[in-house]
Parts: sequence; C-alpha cells; structure tokens
Amino acid sequence: MSTCDRAEALRDYAFDELPAAEVRGMEQHIQTCEACAADLERLQMTTAALRSIPDREIPQRIAFVSDKVFAPSAAARFFSGFWNSSARLGFVSACVLGTALIVSAYRRTPPPAAEVRTVVETADVSKQVNEAVSKAVAQVRQEDARLTQATLKAAEAKHEREYLVLSEAVQVLQKQVNTNTLLASADVGPSGVVGQ
Amino acid sequence: MIFRAVEDADLIARVRRSDIEAFNHLVSRWEKRVFNYLLRLTGNPDDSLDLSQDVFLKAYQNIRKLDDAARFGPWLFRIAHNEAYSLFRKRRPESDFEDAELIEREPARSVAPDLTIAVGAALDRLTPEQREAVVLKVYEGFKFDEIAEILGTPVSTIKSRLYTALDLLKTELAPSHSRGMR
Repeated sequence: MSTCDRAEALRDYAFDELPAAEVRGMEQHIQTCEACAADLERLQMTTAALRSIPDREIPQRIAFVSDKVFAPSAAARFFSGFWNSSARLGFVSACVLGTALIVSAYRRTPPPAAEVRTVVETADVSKQVNEAVSKAVAQVRQEDARLTQATLKAAEAKHEREYLVLSEAVQVLQKQVNTNTLLASADVGPSGVVGQ
Repeated sequence: MIFRAVEDADLIARVRRSDIEAFNHLVSRWEKRVFNYLLRLTGNPDDSLDLSQDVFLKAYQNIRKLDDAARFGPWLFRIAHNEAYSLFRKRRPESDFEDAELIEREPARSVAPDLTIAVGAALDRLTPEQREAVVLKVYEGFKFDEIAEILGTPVSTIKSRLYTALDLLKTELAPSHSRGMR
C-alpha cells in the first residue's frame, strides 16, 4: 500500500469510483507521485489476474418460467390486470357499495308478532314456574305443620302417662302413711300407755 | 450499462403486466452472472445452479415489490446473497461465517492452471465478507452503493473490506502475475 496520503482516492480512481471533478487532478498526481503510480500498477495487475479466470457457462438454462405450468391462465391474467388497475378497482368498489345500499334499503323487516309471541311464551313459562314453586313450598310447609302437630301430641301423651304413673305412686304412698298412722294409734291407748 | 438498465426497466414493466416472455428475457440476461456469483461464493456448481433457480423464482414472485426498476441488478443480487447465506446457515448452523471457508475450486479451462490455482487459493485465504466484496466489485462490476444495497452494509465498510482484500491478494498473487499472464 502506498504511503501517499492520496492512496485511498487512488483506489477509488482505479475502480472508476472517484467523483468526476477529481479525476483530472488524480491523473496529474499519478504523473508526479512514483508511489501512487507503482501502487496503481500493482492494483491493476492484481485485478487483471483475478479477471483472467473467466465466467463459467451455466450448465443448464434456467427456463422454468417459460414452462406452461408456471404461466398464468387467461383468467389469472385478467384478474391480475384487473387488481393492478386502481381505476377499475375503484369503479367496482363503488358498484359493490351501491348494491349493498339498495339491498339493505329494500330488505323486509322481520315480523314483530314473533317477538311478542316469544315474550308471551316467556311470561307463561315464568308463571308456571312460579306456581310450581309456590305449590312445592306449600306442600313442604303443610308437611312441617303435620309433623309438628304429631310431635306435640306424642309429647302430651307421654306427659299424661307419666302423670298417671306419678299419681298412682302418690296414692300408694298416701295409703302407706294412713296405715302406719292407724297402727300407731292402736298401740298407744287413751292414757297414753304404749304396749301394755 | 445505461441501455441495459433501460431495457431491464422495460422488461420489468412488461413482467408486471404478466408477460412471462419478458421475464424469460430477464433470466437469459442475468442467469450467467447470478450463477457465477453464487459459484464464487459456494464453490459448488450444483448448489449454484439450484440457488440460481430459487433466486429467479423469488424474483418472479416478488417483482411487484421492486420499487425502482433501474435497481433490478442489485435487487436480484441481494436475493442471491440471501439465498446463499440461507444455504450456509442450513449447512453450518453453528457458524457465524467469520472464519474463512475453504472452498475447493475446479480450475477454469483455457487459463494457465497455475494461475487459476493461485487465484483460487488466494481468494480462499480471504474471509467470506472480503471475498464477496471482491466478487461483487472485480467480477460483477457493481458500484459501491450498489454493493452496499446488496449486502445491506455501509459503503465505508465495503471499501474497507475490498481494499484490505486487495492488499492481501497483491501479496499472494505477486509471483504468479508474470507466470500465468505471460
């Protein structure tokens, strides 16, 4: 590599990349600068050596595009041309939009009866559900009342039985007390002497 | 080159109107360059042919996305670059492509074999990035801004890679200049 401070520009000149305004100045510089002249010569010899190896011929032509398989059909060509034309595309867009507006304007509205009927049907179902729930709740309450009543009756009967048993026990005790009292009065006379 | 760009732009306009034959013309104008670019990257003719097919198929499918018809060449080579690097990633997913890939090259016919071997060996000593910069500039003749577009890299980086590569190549090829080109 040349030690000259214009070495970089010299290489640009060698590869035809130097701005046109600087070419003449560089050519004059090469005439006077031995380092750059020698460097240019070496660079040209190197590139000549590289270029001495020619391009190879391609072993097989690349022809897949000409194959009919790759060629678009007439319809595909039409659509391809169509989509690539903004004017035609815009016209068709306008037609589609217009058609959509007309269709929406003339389209029949749905009959309202169906909606009313649906609402009524919904109301009937709600009423039936409410009635069924009320009936079920009443049955449950009735059953509860019956069970409460039966439980109370059973408790009263039990209390009555216990009362009778207790009454009988009290009567037995009373009789024993009376008997003991009579026996005691019989043992003690009118003067108060016991067990004569 | 200007006439070629004008003709390409005309052909692209026809392709966009679904003219298949126009795309065939484009393929015939570019297939050899694309194939040789890929061959210099991969070193394998079969891979290069397969990749070329993929490149032109993708170009055909995406030609409507090409903003500037005058930039068809860089756009096409960008597809080729991406396809080649996709293949490299598939083959060596763990690699970051920083290390120079050694490619076995068949000697070109009609050129002194020692020069072909010397050039091939010298190119193999470059990093893949340096080699690609050399291929795009020296062999394909793209401008720096076009190479930047193809690789998605700033012009300054491209120039740095190219000039570093040429310094290395000068040293490598110095003895063989006189041998092969006599």
